Amino acid sequence: MPRVRIAYRQEGPARYVSHLDVMRAFERAARRAGLPLAYSQGFNPRPKMTFAAPLAVGMSGCREYVDLELETEPDPAGVFELLRQNLPNGLVPVQVQAVATGPSLMSLVHRSRYIAVGDVPVGLDTGALQVGLKRFLGRGEIVVEQKRAKGVRRKNIRPGIYSLSARLDGDKLCFSMELKAGSAGNVRPDEVLAVLGKDLSLVPESFAVWRTALLSRAGRLLWDVKGDSIC
Amino acid sequence: MTDLERILARVEKPARYVGGELNAIVKDWRRVPVRIAFAFPDVYEVGMSHLGMHILYHVVNSRDDALMERVFAPWTDMEAEMRTSGLPLFSLESHRPLRDFDVVAFSLQYELSYTNVLNMLDLAGIPLESRDRDDRMPLVVAGGPCAFNPEPLAPFLDAVFLGEGEDAVHDLVEVVRRYGRGNRDELLCALARLPGVYVPRFYRVEYAADGGVKQVVPLIDGVPGKVVKRLVRDLDRAPFPVRPIVPYLEAVHDRAMLEVFRGCTRGCRFCQAGAIYRPVRERTLKTLLDQAGELLRHTGYNELSLTSLSTTDYSEIRKLVQTLVERHRGERVNVSLPSLRVDAFAVELARAVQEVRKSSLTFAPEAGSQRLRNVINKQVTEDDLLRTVEVAFRAGWSRVKLYFMLGLPTETLEDVDGIARLARMVLDKGRECEVPKGRLSVTVSISSFVPKPHTPFQWEPQAPLAVLRERQSFLQGRLKGKNLVYRWHDPEASFLEAVFARGDRRLAPALRRALELGCRLDGWRECFRFDLWQQAFAETGVEPGAYAYRSYRYTDILPWDHLDTGIDRDFLAEEHARALAGEITKDCRGEQCTGCGLCPNLEIEPQLAEVGTGAAG
Repeated sequence: MPRVRIAYRQEGPARYVSHLDVMRAFERAARRAGLPLAYSQGFNPRPKMTFAAPLAVGMSGCREYVDLELETEPDPAGVFELLRQNLPNGLVPVQVQAVATGPSLMSLVHRSRYIAVGDVPVGLDTGALQVGLKRFLGRGEIVVEQKRAKGVRRKNIRPGIYSLSARLDGDKLCFSMELKAGSAGNVRPDEVLAVLGKDLSLVPESFAVWRTALLSRAGRLLWDVKGDSIC
Repeated sequence: MTDLERILARVEKPARYVGGELNAIVKDWRRVPVRIAFAFPDVYEVGMSHLGMHILYHVVNSRDDALMERVFAPWTDMEAEMRTSGLPLFSLESHRPLRDFDVVAFSLQYELSYTNVLNMLDLAGIPLESRDRDDRMPLVVAGGPCAFNPEPLAPFLDAVFLGEGEDAVHDLVEVVRRYGRGNRDELLCALARLPGVYVPRFYRVEYAADGGVKQVVPLIDGVPGKVVKRLVRDLDRAPFPVRPIVPYLEAVHDRAMLEVFRGCTRGCRFCQAGAIYRPVRERTLKTLLDQAGELLRHTGYNELSLTSLSTTDYSEIRKLVQTLVERHRGERVNVSLPSLRVDAFAVELARAVQEVRKSSLTFAPEAGSQRLRNVINKQVTEDDLLRTVEVAFRAGWSRVKLYFMLGLPTETLEDVDGIARLARMVLDKGRECEVPKGRLSVTVSISSFVPKPHTPFQWEPQAPLAVLRERQSFLQGRLKGKNLVYRWHDPEASFLEAVFARGDRRLAPALRRALELGCRLDGWRECFRFDLWQQAFAETGVEPGAYAYRSYRYTDILPWDHLDTGIDRDFLAEEHARALAGEITKDCRGEQCTGCGLCPNLEIEPQLAEVGTGAAG
């Protein structure tokens, strides 16, 4: 089946929408637009849609991805325009491209970049910030605890923190991070903020977070992964 | 980050509180003089499933001079966060505090949402009682089925709209526009003179020595002694929202809703909706097909629900269903019928709309014996039910749900046993039809009867709590077994529902006290605190049983007698007598007029899509 890959932003009110609900919103938009979605077989046919990586509730996405399988050969420019007209507020198409059949979108994702912006803790200056950051990154092991159905799981997130920097911008504190993403060893920005929160006495919940990029193992955009030596 | 953003990071399902859904309408406040907040006193997912909200939202927002925004009851986590940070209750569209609106309009669907009404006012920083609100505060109005006895809420509401809102909401906008916010007294006088509008403060209720109501006296000139409900005279041309808001969150009814007709001709004696939405008014086939097409095109839903009180009764139902299925099959749209009449034809219809029989079929025999079904005028026989489920099982369904009520007037243990007997017969039928054992299931869902105002049972007491509990456990014992599922509603909640359904103004302090004690979201089992309610009644000197268990005489003044559905009170009394005598009354569709008086009283006729025969033709 022909496939289109859609890059979109998820912002404004839509950042409070759960992944499952975003899926439904895409399906409905495609139906309103009259896109010939391909459906699965069986008692409960579902549209063939694959998302690159679920976005956490509350987070904005600057460049999220979904693959739609269609019944007919798509015209990417036409699909872009139809989605632009039919997606609800806060889900905004950025780019549409036909893609050849290949590995699933999810399996391509290995890294994510984030920006987190929040209030500067009282008394924190650039010097103290950089010292704190250096100490944080200098730790060989950073263990967070995850609550699971079967008790608590401990996980070392340090290997999954590929880069982390911070700067002060007026009364705002901005972090940029690149973290491991995907099915194994995924690190969430709120986990990083929670640990940093203790080090720098900041309030993690007061940070607005954007996921700015989803990248392949070699750090490429998901459009253009042919160059990746096979993942 | 704003306070709201900080809070949203900490609550469950934050999408409940932000708006921004498809088809939501955000207007420029500077250009719109009349601003109404539609307040639904339950959570988002429940409120967004309510068709009435979508209709009024569409009607008001179609006007250039008015806007309507939405607000729902926050869940407990959100409420706690809002109170901690001092964030007042706000609307979803513009995120403005409710206080900024000209009107806050509550929809009263259920007695157990009354504490939510008060809680929402409180969260909005609006004084609870009408007399404490000055010109700076919004007008607080209400409508919906419970508006037909709003007395327990009387001190809190400025005005109550009886009946259907499509036309009345225009009157509201115009009156508010004329008087603005500076002339509350004049505004209320003008509202009280509108047809269908009840302004409680202009009526004094006097009580008799026996605890009942002695009389209700209008206090100013020009307000009617009886307020008569409003209705839509031409439903086929009435505005219908073909671009309803499509929630991101999964609503309770997550599908397109097509209102096939309003009203019901069946005359079940316990049913308040059947009384207050008379007469039956069907939309024409053409209108419905057009509206269905538009709805699907503007929403992208993959399911279209034909909603009405008894959809299978629609006179052109076969053609409607066939055409909808044919037209929208290619778009993979499922047509659904919410509940089915107990007959083979209904199952045939369900079969036509559902090629894959994945869900269960639901039927409502309501009572376990023929005698008791005659009492309540539910014209379903055991044979009907067994034939119907046989057709269903043979057509490939394996799960059947049956709805019954406990505590109906004249009910005996034999009637209750009849429920178990019926359920077992249905189960046997399933086995006979060779439904695979692993899949076969018969669910019996039990609620407790609540005598509702404006029905033939309005004079009847509710069965005592102890009796309801006893019968539930009796039935539960009789329904043990493989493939049988027993579900029930808490009888305590039904008791409270009866208290407020039949209540008067003297309940208001108890309601307020219950809120102070922490009662809210009472319709949610996990939030319902009967112990706190009992404490609230005790502290305010109210004996709740005096309301739920009161048996009225025909000569008594009922607390809601000054509110008029259009049905003759004498007819209700006759129906009550017939019920006790076990006599049935025929459907007014296609048979004799039952003489309820509504059509002559309101100068209207039943309207059928197919001009047919009989009284309702």
